[in-house]
Amino acid sequence: MNKMQTQVLYIEDDREIGEWVSADLKDRGYRVTWLTSGEQAVEEAKDCRLAILDVMLPGLDGFTVGQRLKKQYPNLPILMLSARTSIDDKLQGLEFADDYLTKPFHPDELAARLEVLLRRGGTVALENEPLRLGHLLVFERENRIVVEPTGEEIVLTGKQFYIFQFLLRHLGQILTKEQIYEAVWGEPYLDGDKTLMVHIRHLREKLEINPAEPSIIETIRGIGYRVKS
Amino acid sequence: MTGYKQVSPGFRKGPRFRNSLLSRFVLIVVIAMVLLPIVLPLTFVASLAISSLLFHSTPKESAETKLPNYGSGIKIERMWHEEALALHGKSSSDKDQVLQRVHDKYPEATLFWVDSDGKTQLKLPETSEVPDYWSTEKVVAYMKQAYDSDPFTTVAIIGGGEQPTDEGFMVLELPRKYMNHTPSSNNNDGQFYGMYFFMVIFALFLLLAYWFFRDIQKRLRWLEFGMTVTGKDGLPTRIIEGRPDEIGRLEQAFNHMVDVLHDSRRKEREEETLRKNLISNLSHDLRTPLTVLGGQLYSFRKEPLSPAGKEMLELMEGKINDLSGLIDHLLSYNLLTSGRYSMKPEELDVLRIVRLSAAAWYPLWEKAGMEIHIELPEEPLIWRIDEQGFRRVLDNLFQNTIRHARSGGYIGISVLHSEEGKAALAITDHGPGMSAESPAKGAGLGLQVVDLLLREMGLVREAVSANGTRVIISQK
Repeated sequence: MNKMQTQVLYIEDDREIGEWVSADLKDRGYRVTWLTSGEQAVEEAKDCRLAILDVMLPGLDGFTVGQRLKKQYPNLPILMLSARTSIDDKLQGLEFADDYLTKPFHPDELAARLEVLLRRGGTVALENEPLRLGHLLVFERENRIVVEPTGEEIVLTGKQFYIFQFLLRHLGQILTKEQIYEAVWGEPYLDGDKTLMVHIRHLREKLEINPAEPSIIETIRGIGYRVKS
Repeated sequence: MTGYKQVSPGFRKGPRFRNSLLSRFVLIVVIAMVLLPIVLPLTFVASLAISSLLFHSTPKESAETKLPNYGSGIKIERMWHEEALALHGKSSSDKDQVLQRVHDKYPEATLFWVDSDGKTQLKLPETSEVPDYWSTEKVVAYMKQAYDSDPFTTVAIIGGGEQPTDEGFMVLELPRKYMNHTPSSNNNDGQFYGMYFFMVIFALFLLLAYWFFRDIQKRLRWLEFGMTVTGKDGLPTRIIEGRPDEIGRLEQAFNHMVDVLHDSRRKEREEETLRKNLISNLSHDLRTPLTVLGGQLYSFRKEPLSPAGKEMLELMEGKINDLSGLIDHLLSYNLLTSGRYSMKPEELDVLRIVRLSAAAWYPLWEKAGMEIHIELPEEPLIWRIDEQGFRRVLDNLFQNTIRHARSGGYIGISVLHSEEGKAALAITDHGPGMSAESPAKGAGLGLQVVDLLLREMGLVREAVSANGTRVIISQK
């Protein structure tokens, strides 16, 4: 995937960490705007598709900056980086933040989380390159699914499409039955609801080569479903 | 006493006397005592005044008061009989003389005497309608008619008490209006009004005393009400201070207490914030170098390294993670033991949280090559828990399975039912077991945090070690 278009705002006051993280992100193909304080954050975030915020900042703290950014750009995904782990801090941070990572973190994990956030926001899908999933090619921008060997197009019904899209946006992540149901139907999941299972079965009949042994939509027993990248 | 003075040096011994309830009560008592000797004679005067007022109001009766009064009938009767007895054997002229004398004394009376032949001798005044001759029938009829009537009539046998003496008899008639009244109803009324007046005064005192105490009662109730009102912070609020008497002092004292209470609560909150900040600063200060270290190690990976060097790098990265976990546990433990972590317990589906948490840990278990066996029922399991705290419990327990039970290659999550039908959450691994672990690895602190959190949520953790470890979480 070509990420040269992806501009990331990164606010970190510690020079050593800031240098290392922005270097790593640049290596991974992102364009990074690194600020050491939150004062200019709102202006600088204008062209960015994602913001990474440290919580402990001189002057304005990360929570305040994050809330301002979210108010100005409601669709901008925000990932909080924090050295604070006190249990109730986490909740406060996540009220507006889309994800949360505690220091010390592994750069691979940061990169993985960024990708999930961008995919969730649909930013990655803007690229024309199709997503390869087993025997399928998925053109997310055009909402088109093609069986690669035959070029045959798969047409999904509304609900099937939304379920598949939700799974794709969280590529590689396990989603619980509750999460999927509530995201697609927009109402609380009732215990023992069979609706989702039925829809997944129909979806598999269309997508999988052998619906009895699914390879695209994986069942995580006891939890939910996952689409592996 | 000295302690009290220290707390409130501005307090006097009591309110000034003229402001006190005592002074007001004493005033009421003094008024009552001073007025009583005045009021008592006053009631007599009033009673007299009222009865005289009533006498004057009727002219007929006022004329009557000017009539001469000759006392009671008994007295007149006795006098008459004595005179009659004294006349024993006396001549007619003597009898006339006596009648004359008595008539002078009682000019309004009619007097006459009758001799033994029944002939009326002297009658005074002359004009009186008295028969000249008295037959036996006439006497009997006269006596019958005169008995207990107006005029008052008394008949005496001349010369002897009850025995006939053959000397005749003498009669005195006197209209009853010249005699003593039978106990007058007018007089009675006067006494009644006097009592009434006295009672009004007495009632007035009672009313005054009642008002006095009702006022105290009212203010005490207000005070009680004010003391039970609590503000947003759950502390009592200041009350409005009234008159500076005993109750007023009480109100002041209460307000002082409220101030002290608010002060201490504020200090407590400040300390809480201070401690929280201290912990998060500490966390930041410890983690920032760890992050830098991790970053440097990561950059090292890009250098050409021998397999041994790579292994060392991995070990160092693992230790950084352990250290980070340890810091987390330590700070959480500190927060929990100092009671600074605020729980927000809610009725939640435990299994939903377990699924979410397991979904996050799933890739790590996969990476560790562990067999994952999750069997959770579709029906929700509702417990009263703090979501954040419960996730923390699961995180710590799942982390332990990776750190210490990786060798067992198995992780199982299920719901067990006890004989009484109580549901419990079970996390099973096939690791070497808890007893084999050394607390130095950090598991001890992590489990302490788990236990503290569970206790706060009314849950308990049991660990069964048999071919691995099974951690069972259930409601108390």
